[in-house]
Amino acid sequence: MMRRAATNPGTDRHTGPVQQVEDWPAERLEAGSPLVPPPPGKQVLMQVRALTKAFGPRRILRGIDVDICAGETFVILGGSGSGKTTLIKHLMAMLTPDSGSVVVDGLDLAKATPEQLVEYRKKMGVVFQNAALLNSLTVLENVGLPLTEVEQRPADEVRARVVEALRQVFLPADEILDLKPASLSGGMRKRVGIARAIIQKPSIILYDEPTTGLDPVTVNGVNELTLQLQQKLGVTSIVITHDLDAAFMIADRIAVLYKGRFIAVGDKRAIGDNPHPVLRQLLTGSTTGPLTEDFLTAKKPEGAPS
Amino acid sequence: MLAEVGRSILHNAEIAGRCLSLLGRALLALRHIGRGRSQIVRQLDMAGFGSILVLCLIAGLTGMIMAVQTGSELEKFGVLKNLGAIIGATFCCEMGPIWAAVIVLARVGASMAAELGTMTVNEEVDALKVMSIDPVRYLVMPRILALMISMPLLTTMADFVGLLGGALVTKAQFGQPLRTFMESAQGLLDGMDFYSGLFKSLVFAVIIGTISCDQGLATKNGAEGVGRATTATVVLSIVFVLLSDHIMNYILLKVITPLMGLT
Repeated sequence: MMRRAATNPGTDRHTGPVQQVEDWPAERLEAGSPLVPPPPGKQVLMQVRALTKAFGPRRILRGIDVDICAGETFVILGGSGSGKTTLIKHLMAMLTPDSGSVVVDGLDLAKATPEQLVEYRKKMGVVFQNAALLNSLTVLENVGLPLTEVEQRPADEVRARVVEALRQVFLPADEILDLKPASLSGGMRKRVGIARAIIQKPSIILYDEPTTGLDPVTVNGVNELTLQLQQKLGVTSIVITHDLDAAFMIADRIAVLYKGRFIAVGDKRAIGDNPHPVLRQLLTGSTTGPLTEDFLTAKKPEGAPS
Repeated sequence: MLAEVGRSILHNAEIAGRCLSLLGRALLALRHIGRGRSQIVRQLDMAGFGSILVLCLIAGLTGMIMAVQTGSELEKFGVLKNLGAIIGATFCCEMGPIWAAVIVLARVGASMAAELGTMTVNEEVDALKVMSIDPVRYLVMPRILALMISMPLLTTMADFVGLLGGALVTKAQFGQPLRTFMESAQGLLDGMDFYSGLFKSLVFAVIIGTISCDQGLATKNGAEGVGRATTATVVLSIVFVLLSDHIMNYILLKVITPLMGLT
């Protein structure tokens, strides 16, 4: 089956007008990108090798190979159902691969003991799509949860560290500490979620579609915050998104996920110049192209993360 | 049709296996009971105090209805003086624990399943896991424990209020003194009746707590899934409460009573 790259006259915000119209056979369209060596001088923190995962008959991840370097902001782009959430759940050690491995700082997550996973997760903060704050708890209790429940720190230390984390995400700590999440705006909830993710001073932060459902001003605010945290704390950030502007604003490198494989990995320029039809359609936002055809035939497999 | 029945049996066997595993993990999590104090108090408030008023109302009304219905039949045979014993035995052995279970299931079990279901679909449970907070210790153990503490207390209250309702109606409708009613109840009832009711309420608490939490944590597919989890909690809990009641009655009457030399 041959597919055509973006054929309607869309405008590429990141590389200019779309020019290329080329026939791509399905095998070439879905072929994974070869493993890209890390940028010179960078130390590899996370190694993902031949990672596969299926839910029932549907293969969600079909062989992911990538190296993520310490201190970089690595953005994973992809359409709905491409496997982004399944991939990030493997990085969180919440799913076990059918085959392949995720090795972080020498630790194979699939073979790690529960104690090793506790230690790994202490070094990792996660910002969920809808912040995932516990509605029955106040902002103080939510942000301080890892300190009270895992590290069992005294109340005054927890309070001080929560105030510090809230200030780092530019929230008025004194005014919101005792509020429940339902009293906060979407943008504030997201920032509280980020504060919770950084309270244990992690070396890795995973962002699962951090700007979904926010207005453009708040989206920019969250993107700037992501950049600032990365620069200030020197953390490795892995961001899953389908927001192109966000991706090009914050990324050091971008990987594009399509049908469970990375079809392109590289810096912003390499991604912007890549002629792959899926990438062209993502970049132009065109309504015709391989992603549209997939949406029309797609069915979410039972058990797959949403 | 056969395939459908087979699928349903397998599905329910899977739920039963999951519930047993969840209960085992919740019991193991009891060793961290100190860290869950605030959660346990919060759940006790919801499960216990919140259910008192409605349970008293229902138990009182049931005692009154039983007194009117049974009293008019007993009066025909001239044995009205046994009314206290009949209502007392019915409440202590059956009505008290069953009403407490039904009220707690409707008020608390359904709400637990909906709350945990919403937390699951909103990724709050995932957030706990990535913070290395065991959801069974943090969410499930306090809920089951709170039910295990509050259900026997609620059952005792239902027994008392049901008897009181029956006694008041017996006096108003049949003119029998309260003292006669209570002496009749005391004469027939022994500790075994009362404690068997309390034991049943403890078992019902475990069943309702475990099924509610399991259904909540197994929720999928957004708001629709939360609704399905809540309905499944009510249906499964009521079936298992009545089934376990029947089994416990059988053991009590056929095994324990002869063993203890009681008639």
